[in-house]
Amino acid sequence: MLTQAHELLSAWAQAERTPETHRLDLVIGADALIDAVRALKTVRSLYLSAITGTDTGSGLEILYHFCAGAEVLTLRVGLPYDTPRIPSLCGVMPVARLYEIELKEMLGVDVLGLNAHDRLFLPDDWPQGLFPLRKDAALDTLNDKESD
Amino acid sequence: MTAERFIVPIGPQHPALKEPGHFEFTVEGETVTDARVRLGYAHRGIEKATESRSWTQNAYLLERICGICSHVHALAYCLGVEKLAGVEAPPRAQVIRALVSELERMHSHLLWLGVAAHEAGFDTLFMYAWRDREQVMQALENLTGNRVNYSANVLGGVKCDVTDDHRRQIMKMIKSLSDRIDHYLSVVESDRALLQRTHGVGTLTHEQAESLGVTGPVARSAGVTQDLRRDAPYAAYADFPVRVMVAQSGDLKARFLVRLNEMLESIRLIALMLDHLPAGDLEARMPRKIKAGETISRVEAPRGELFYYIKSAGGDMPERVKVRTPTLANMASVIVLSVGHQLADIPMILAGIDPCFSCNDRMVTAITPQGNQVLTWAQVRQYGIDFYKRQAERAGS
Repeated sequence: MLTQAHELLSAWAQAERTPETHRLDLVIGADALIDAVRALKTVRSLYLSAITGTDTGSGLEILYHFCAGAEVLTLRVGLPYDTPRIPSLCGVMPVARLYEIELKEMLGVDVLGLNAHDRLFLPDDWPQGLFPLRKDAALDTLNDKESD
Repeated sequence: MTAERFIVPIGPQHPALKEPGHFEFTVEGETVTDARVRLGYAHRGIEKATESRSWTQNAYLLERICGICSHVHALAYCLGVEKLAGVEAPPRAQVIRALVSELERMHSHLLWLGVAAHEAGFDTLFMYAWRDREQVMQALENLTGNRVNYSANVLGGVKCDVTDDHRRQIMKMIKSLSDRIDHYLSVVESDRALLQRTHGVGTLTHEQAESLGVTGPVARSAGVTQDLRRDAPYAAYADFPVRVMVAQSGDLKARFLVRLNEMLESIRLIALMLDHLPAGDLEARMPRKIKAGETISRVEAPRGELFYYIKSAGGDMPERVKVRTPTLANMASVIVLSVGHQLADIPMILAGIDPCFSCNDRMVTAITPQGNQVLTWAQVRQYGIDFYKRQAERAGS
């Protein structure tokens, strides 16, 4: 799977590395994400296993993990803190929906085209603009609120 | 007469789910035409919490994500951290890890069998299944000291050894369970009342299973031959090859058959592991700080693929731990499968994906055009049972 994916995505890959056996990481731009994933759909038995959002300290990084058997392909997309915009994969891979809502709620990623207005994970009274998985999330304010 | 359309909200004090969930089913007449899900009522912020706890503390914290498949969470985490540290647990520890995984799979599947039978109104099967599950819980307690969060794993190996006494107890147990599961297989295939609730109900096609990204027994019951124990062997599974159980029909009956057959396969593996348990240490030495890097660790939980992403910045605490549980991957299928089915089938369709059961309270609020009507989940379950009884009577008359 990895060789085929590598060939398919070479036009969009800005950087690549093989961190472990059976793994391939490709860095791509947010604008190339949909085209890249559409190309991946032709790879047999490949599926989107998970989407990880991380706060690297200098920005956000979204990792799309695609698996087939023991192999894992990760598409890495870096996003700036001030405009963390990324297109939704739902049109290409509907399975992405719940994972993208998680990204939106936990890291404040603006997933363009994601049709989800209600909260899925965080409580209804969770403060707007507080994204718990960001490193600078002021979670102490929640304790203040509870003790009021 | 045109069917009236109304919405049936279910939860969050949910029926069958260990973690509470909230579902809204739009119903026209008896038929579900739309469904929505709201999760997060038991969101404990565990991923965030890992970032302020030591590598060792996190093994215990992550094990508590699930009260049923606790072992596989700790296993996925420990395997990942060991990979980052460049440490490999000794062979004996790896076999014990796989052994506990299979015992846990049996406990989880028997628990599911009971709950699914209960939702179908087949309480005799429920009680028998849970009686049998008790034997597995007993074996797990004898082996690890705990019934639920066994803490068998430690970073670098396992904390408990398998003695000759354990071996004898477990062999005796699996012999008796093997007969019981054979019997349940014949019940599931022949009991007319149960077949009415499972045969051709909640059918997921092979294509749907692939496009929805479902995993574990739900995927395998729709003909997707996927099992990480075989596809990406971890712990000791490379030495004990797993025969992947699949069915083709994709309905609830197939999910019963796949899980029951998986238990028979677990029994075969457990006997094999006990017979070929290598001698040696239980633990390898682990550093307190884990060198910088990131890794992905995937294991086959009873409900399907459990995915861990672990990142270290070189300190004594992780930089990021991401967990994708199989229930989240399977949840989308409930929404898709519900549409077009009878409201009476909903308890069984929900039960079919085995979404972390262990319920204590159930409530359904049915909002009708005539006014609000509050039903308990028990009433909705009863509604499903009565609905099929009436159908059977009609067919008989």
